[in-house]
Amino acid sequence: MIRFINASKFYPPQTKALDNLSLHIYPGEFVSIVGQSGSGKTTIVKCLIGEEKLDEGRVIVGDWDITHISNREIPYLRRQIGVIFQDFKLLPKKTLAENVAFALQVCGKSPKKIKAIVPSVMKIVGLTEQMNRYPNEVSGGEQQRAAIARALVYQPKILVADEPTGNLDSINAEEIVNLLLKINDLGTTVILVTHNREIVNNLNRRVISISDGRLVNDQARGKYII
Amino acid sequence: MFLSLARIIKFGFQDVWRNFWLSLATIMILVLTLFSVDLLLALRIIGQAAVDNLKNRVDVSIYLKQGVPEDKILNLKARLANLNNVQEVNYISQSAALESFQRRHQSDPEILQALQELDQNPLAPTLTVKPKDPDHYEELIEELDQIEDPIIESRNFQDNKKLLDKINYITDKINDVAIIISSIFLLIMILVMFNSVRLAIYSHRQEIVIMKLVGASNAFIKAPFLFSSLIYTLVGVVLTAVIFYAFLTVLQPYLDTFFFGYNIDLITYFNSHWLQIIGLQFAGAAMVNLLASYIAVGKYSKI
Repeated sequence: MIRFINASKFYPPQTKALDNLSLHIYPGEFVSIVGQSGSGKTTIVKCLIGEEKLDEGRVIVGDWDITHISNREIPYLRRQIGVIFQDFKLLPKKTLAENVAFALQVCGKSPKKIKAIVPSVMKIVGLTEQMNRYPNEVSGGEQQRAAIARALVYQPKILVADEPTGNLDSINAEEIVNLLLKINDLGTTVILVTHNREIVNNLNRRVISISDGRLVNDQARGKYII
Repeated sequence: MFLSLARIIKFGFQDVWRNFWLSLATIMILVLTLFSVDLLLALRIIGQAAVDNLKNRVDVSIYLKQGVPEDKILNLKARLANLNNVQEVNYISQSAALESFQRRHQSDPEILQALQELDQNPLAPTLTVKPKDPDHYEELIEELDQIEDPIIESRNFQDNKKLLDKINYITDKINDVAIIISSIFLLIMILVMFNSVRLAIYSHRQEIVIMKLVGASNAFIKAPFLFSSLIYTLVGVVLTAVIFYAFLTVLQPYLDTFFFGYNIDLITYFNSHWLQIIGLQFAGAAMVNLLASYIAVGKYSKI
């Protein structure tokens, strides 16, 4: 599903964010990518969604070699990969449902389709009751769930969660991870990028450990070992 | 396709409305710029009308010897009228010249007194030659120089040539100044529009980030900002037309008084050319604004 082949990425003047990294993530997997701050985790996410380009090596999503993806193609890639971040990235002047609908509107979906899709994804993430509330009227966990709902509107085959629990307390963090597991059960490949040891250890799923841009450990049912 | 277009238009109007004060400031600058352009146009029309009028008054006087029989004068008049660059020739007899002189100096008793003290009419009969085209004045002078007739006393070509040169100089200067001022305003308009779009993008940076994140096309992200600049242009052009027309209705009576006899009617001119003026202003301003916006969007929407 996702392959990084001898991938390297440099930032001036002398930072190696990725250093000859090779990894392969298979369809339907739930993979945690762990590592300390600055280890290169977020660079992996950025290269995956076309925000950054590799200096060396290749990155392949499905059958699509996105190593040298053009700016014109990036929107199509991003409709196939759902992404959520630590800071939710919700529009404060729109309700949760409007935030989710916004993702469909800007990609040209018809009002009829939007009306059908939004309630269904809100139901998946358990926000049916709160869908007409504004982000500042709900908890951090609910905001992150709305962000997940937004990432799911195109039924992506891959969901990338970059530090999704970084702004949440442990109860909300657990709820979000459970939601990600549920989405994974529905067939979506989930990549969880985190440095939260407790969450990774409780998951008992594949763990890829990154340090200084290099893959240092890859275990099928791993623990946070760095 | 139509759905996306409709949403681009909707987001464009939202941009304008949500950044109300920024939009207002942008439109006001646009109005000031276009108003200045209109003002320059009006100045040009007034200047051109005044210059044309002055050019129509340019003529060459040929002074004839006193006591020349009238038939010889009429012969010369006919010869002059046949020249290529002559529109018409007027004969001012000695007595008509005296009457005209007295009329011109009726408020100057010393001159009239001096005239009375002379025994005879000191003024010479004159033929005034009006050129067909004042711009070909030199050619007319050449033609007149070739006319030899013993009844000709003198010719005053030089004064009118100086006047004509001066008129041409003023016309050229008015055009130069108009071009310089228009260019300065054009530059201001470009900078203002560029900055407005930049600020609009800044105030929408969250939306832009999210749009990029969820896979909106680059064209869809940029288009509403370009559309907003079209809205600014349209509102600016229409508002300018309304304000400028009101300004003209106030100005016209003063023009009528100041340029009495020159027949300068700006309102009639604008009434008969309003579609061209508004259309050209919109096309020009839209082109400039779209270009400025396009550069700003390309530069600042890479969030």
